[in-house]
Amino acid sequence: MIKIVDLHKKFGDLHVLKGINLNVNKGEVMVILGPSGSGKSTLLRSINLLEVPTSGQIFFDGVDITGKKIDRNRVRQRIGMVFQGFNLFPHMTVLGNVTLALLKVLKIKKEEAVKIGTDLLIRVGLKDKINGYPNQLSGGQKQRVAIARALAMNPEVMLFDEVTSALDPELVKEVLDVMKDLAKSGMTMLVVTHEMGFAKEVGSHVIFMDEGLIVEEGLAQDIFENPKHPRTKAFLDAVLY
Amino acid sequence: MEGLSNLLEKYFSIGIIWEILPYLLKGALFTVIFSASSEIIGIIIGLVTAMIRTSKIKVLNQLAIIYVDLFRGTPLLMQIIFVYYALPYVGINLPAPLAGIVALSVNSGAYVTEIFRAGIDSIDKGQIEAARSLGMSYAKTMRYIIIPQTFKRVLPPLTNEFVALIKDSSLLSVIAISELLRTAKEMMTWKLNPSSLTAAAILYLVITLPLTRLVSHMENRLKKSDAH
Ligand SMILES: Nc1ncnc2c1ncn2[C@@H]1O[C@H](COP(=O)(O)OP(=O)(O)OP(=O)(O)O)[C@@H](O)[C@H]1O
Ligand SMILES: [Mg+2]
Repeated sequence: MIKIVDLHKKFGDLHVLKGINLNVNKGEVMVILGPSGSGKSTLLRSINLLEVPTSGQIFFDGVDITGKKIDRNRVRQRIGMVFQGFNLFPHMTVLGNVTLALLKVLKIKKEEAVKIGTDLLIRVGLKDKINGYPNQLSGGQKQRVAIARALAMNPEVMLFDEVTSALDPELVKEVLDVMKDLAKSGMTMLVVTHEMGFAKEVGSHVIFMDEGLIVEEGLAQDIFENPKHPRTKAFLDAVLY
Repeated sequence: MEGLSNLLEKYFSIGIIWEILPYLLKGALFTVIFSASSEIIGIIIGLVTAMIRTSKIKVLNQLAIIYVDLFRGTPLLMQIIFVYYALPYVGINLPAPLAGIVALSVNSGAYVTEIFRAGIDSIDKGQIEAARSLGMSYAKTMRYIIIPQTFKRVLPPLTNEFVALIKDSSLLSVIAISELLRTAKEMMTWKLNPSSLTAAAILYLVITLPLTRLVSHMENRLKKSDAH
């Protein structure tokens, strides 16, 4: 579904992605691990075209989405993204956040959009917050709204960039539970996370990045039980104690 | 004591002020009409230019920078004279009131551009990214996400700019527009007494003070709403 070929990204002189090759098939939950600064966010952001690659290709359903003639907005409609900092729209209600793109991008009728939005908010357990504003929510609730907002566009792939890192520990689980359900429903997901429990339980595949390269990749079980690369070993030892 | 009563008689002659008040009020009305319409056009110009300034279209961006520099960096008086006296040479003949509004609008547009640009820049970049990641175009992101959040923040500086514009509109007197200051000067010559200027000053205050008070009020509320 997503195929990345020799992807490079430079910020000025800083070479952040140094030739990423990656395949993600439909229904896979790809967990992306790696130390800070290894390029995990940049990789996710490139897939969503928030960063323009310096070279290389990203194929989405066989189409190179880095091409000049690509309608980036169309591509982004098919890829949902959830950020560490929630990025909810503070001037809109919870339901307004979730329905905005349905109304303004897909131009769906109001009643229908409200129905889709309400169903999604029920799904993430926020029925009673529908008419509230983001600043009335806890971090965990905000992040669940952000997930519902991304799901509203009915994306084929979901990107999660450390979505629980900004949360108080007791709020992490409610967000991970929503992601777990999503994975069970067959959603294709790329997840940057430091939650090893989640990665082990939900991840189908794991890649380990270091200094702009994928140094190890494979099935989640294999990598957690039997990491080959010394950097992966050291990293897992450190985070798993 | 005698000095004071002379001063009062000369600059604060109630009789004269009462007599000329209708003319001054008419001048004040012109001042409000000219500055308000210029402010509205200036806001439209400024909004568009600010969006160009924050976009990535290089050529337009350069033009916007030149526009802002040009109109903020030269005296408004000069701009008014140019629009009224120089444009006819390139075939653009504007009647004085229109020339006045054009000059004021374009001038205030330059200031408003910078106000909006600062406002747009002050919105967290994550807002743009979240909107774009939903497939919203740059224009839609601006319209539904950035501008609505910007408006609340730019209202105080925008109102301050309006106050400045109200005072600056007195420069329109050079192209014979009978706004408040010009009317007052005419009354001074007519009555051979400068009380009209005092009265005009008070009228300027009557117009601007509510606005400056409004700004402090808005700033306080903004502080509170940002606090949580
Ligand atoms: N817009 C940018 N301009 C310049 N440098 C950038 C930019 N974005 C990221 N970088 C740099 O690229 C490198 C990789 O950043 P990236 O955010 O992808 O790392 P990461 O693996 O997500 O790290 P973390 O775990 O801390 O989130 C870092 O050195 C970062 O400073
Ligand atoms: Mg990151």
